[in-house]
Amino acid sequence: MKRVIVACGSGVATSQTVASKVKRILSEKKISAEVEAVDIKSLDHLIKNCDVYVAITKPKKAYGIPTLNGIAFLTGMGMDAEVEKLIAALK
Amino acid sequence: MDVLTNVVQYVLNLGASVFVPIIMLIIGICARMKFKDAISAAIIFGVAFAGMNLVVGFMLDSISPAAQAFAKNTGIALTAVDGGWTTGASITWAWPLAFLIFPITIGVNIVMLALKWTKTLNVDMWNVWGKAFTAIMVSYISGNVYLGFVVVVIQIIIELKIGDIWGKEIEELTGIPGVTVPHHMTIIASLLYPINQLMDKIPLFNKKMDADALKEKLGVFAENHVMGAIVGFLLGLVAGYGVSKSLILAVQAATALTLFPMVSKLFMQALSPISEAISEFMRKHFNNREILIGLDWPILAGRNELWVTAILLIPVELLFAVILPGNKVLPFGGIINLSIVVAVVLLARGNLLRMVVYGIITTPVFLYLATFFAPYMTRLAQETHAVKVPAGSMLTWSTMENGEFKFAFSEAMAGKWWGMLLAVVWIALFVYFYFGRKKENAKRYHEEAQTEGFES
Repeated sequence: MKRVIVACGSGVATSQTVASKVKRILSEKKISAEVEAVDIKSLDHLIKNCDVYVAITKPKKAYGIPTLNGIAFLTGMGMDAEVEKLIAALK
Repeated sequence: MDVLTNVVQYVLNLGASVFVPIIMLIIGICARMKFKDAISAAIIFGVAFAGMNLVVGFMLDSISPAAQAFAKNTGIALTAVDGGWTTGASITWAWPLAFLIFPITIGVNIVMLALKWTKTLNVDMWNVWGKAFTAIMVSYISGNVYLGFVVVVIQIIIELKIGDIWGKEIEELTGIPGVTVPHHMTIIASLLYPINQLMDKIPLFNKKMDADALKEKLGVFAENHVMGAIVGFLLGLVAGYGVSKSLILAVQAATALTLFPMVSKLFMQALSPISEAISEFMRKHFNNREILIGLDWPILAGRNELWVTAILLIPVELLFAVILPGNKVLPFGGIINLSIVVAVVLLARGNLLRMVVYGIITTPVFLYLATFFAPYMTRLAQETHAVKVPAGSMLTWSTMENGEFKFAFSEAMAGKWWGMLLAVVWIALFVYFYFGRKKENAKRYHEEAQTEGFES
């Protein structure tokens, strides 16, 4: 199963908000993938087996996997474009 | 008043892991969620409470004996164990009236927007818990639950006003336009603002420093398990445990700090359908005008100054905890002081040296406030049956967000004259900050200062 990782400052609230939203969108589109919210301080270890990274902050490094703008999921602005990228990355 | 108190008492006796899921289920059904989704969210909420009870219990069981041994060896009694904000949030959601804060938050925001007293539309529904926490502390200290809600309304207004200010700083620091962080924890910046103005005049405090390189070196210490292991090991040593027992404590402490966020995110998982529906509703109704969307602080988490400052403050907190007379707090779960670093990364516009100075000078304040609030947090944990606290120990949050505000306003509401004086001074400093910073930002970002009124 493909894995989506969302990171925020503590891996509790913001990342989980986005992760829950992404999960819901994926289940509506009948795409199965694991979506996990994590602490950005441990991202370097945890991102290794993931297929998509949803970033709340501007990433300083390239991780070699598709990276989406997580803010769009919070504000709703530009979200459709990010959802399309997500689906393309998981297909 | 009596009716409300009786209802509260009855509901409290059920225990948080039962009654909060029931409330969730009712809200979910009222919000026309699918029944299976509503029941799933409700049970997850119960799981979050039970899980948090396990982890906090585990933390207290391993940390408290070490703290007691340390007290016996040295005479320094740090009896209030710091569960951090995750524990604070967990016992707050257990308060039977916590959910009332949702409509209050939304209502005040809508009124403020409609009257054009703010540009901030706060869609961050997670930090409703921080407002509920204020309500609880004020109602405990003043003895009147309604006064708790009055202070919450003041807090929401202040949050929106500071949200209006931060939009600029956030665009500068993160590159994201149109968003802000109307978070309670950033409000301490207003008290530090006069110092910031002084620092503006000192060349040393205006140099650029590279936090990214430092983060690369220090970053590993900010990982929960690494930090937990170090603090646990040190605590074991000062408690006179010897190396082998200290190593065991190190792993236990690492376990507690690793599990806190893992369990804590279950609350957000349960709340996400509600919070999503609310944000959607708010956005739909106010999208046709210039607004700043209020989000939670992690949009700033990419600024490495934040993490470098927080790591550098860890030894400072431990040192102050030991040497400050009257301090009862053993820093642990809340040792990464988000409450100061998020506020000062905005206030200092990412200037690392200023941030560290602010962190150091405020550490004693955080510890004394955590000592002050420890009995009330312990009472909340016990009354709601959310977490068991063993006799002789207290539960607290070493780096409580905006504790000064809670302290001043709860003592004012309790009718103490000096509390009222503090509250007035607090408001005066906030007003001074609000207008001063607004002018400063207008100059910095070449915009004309607007002439809108303040809470008029």
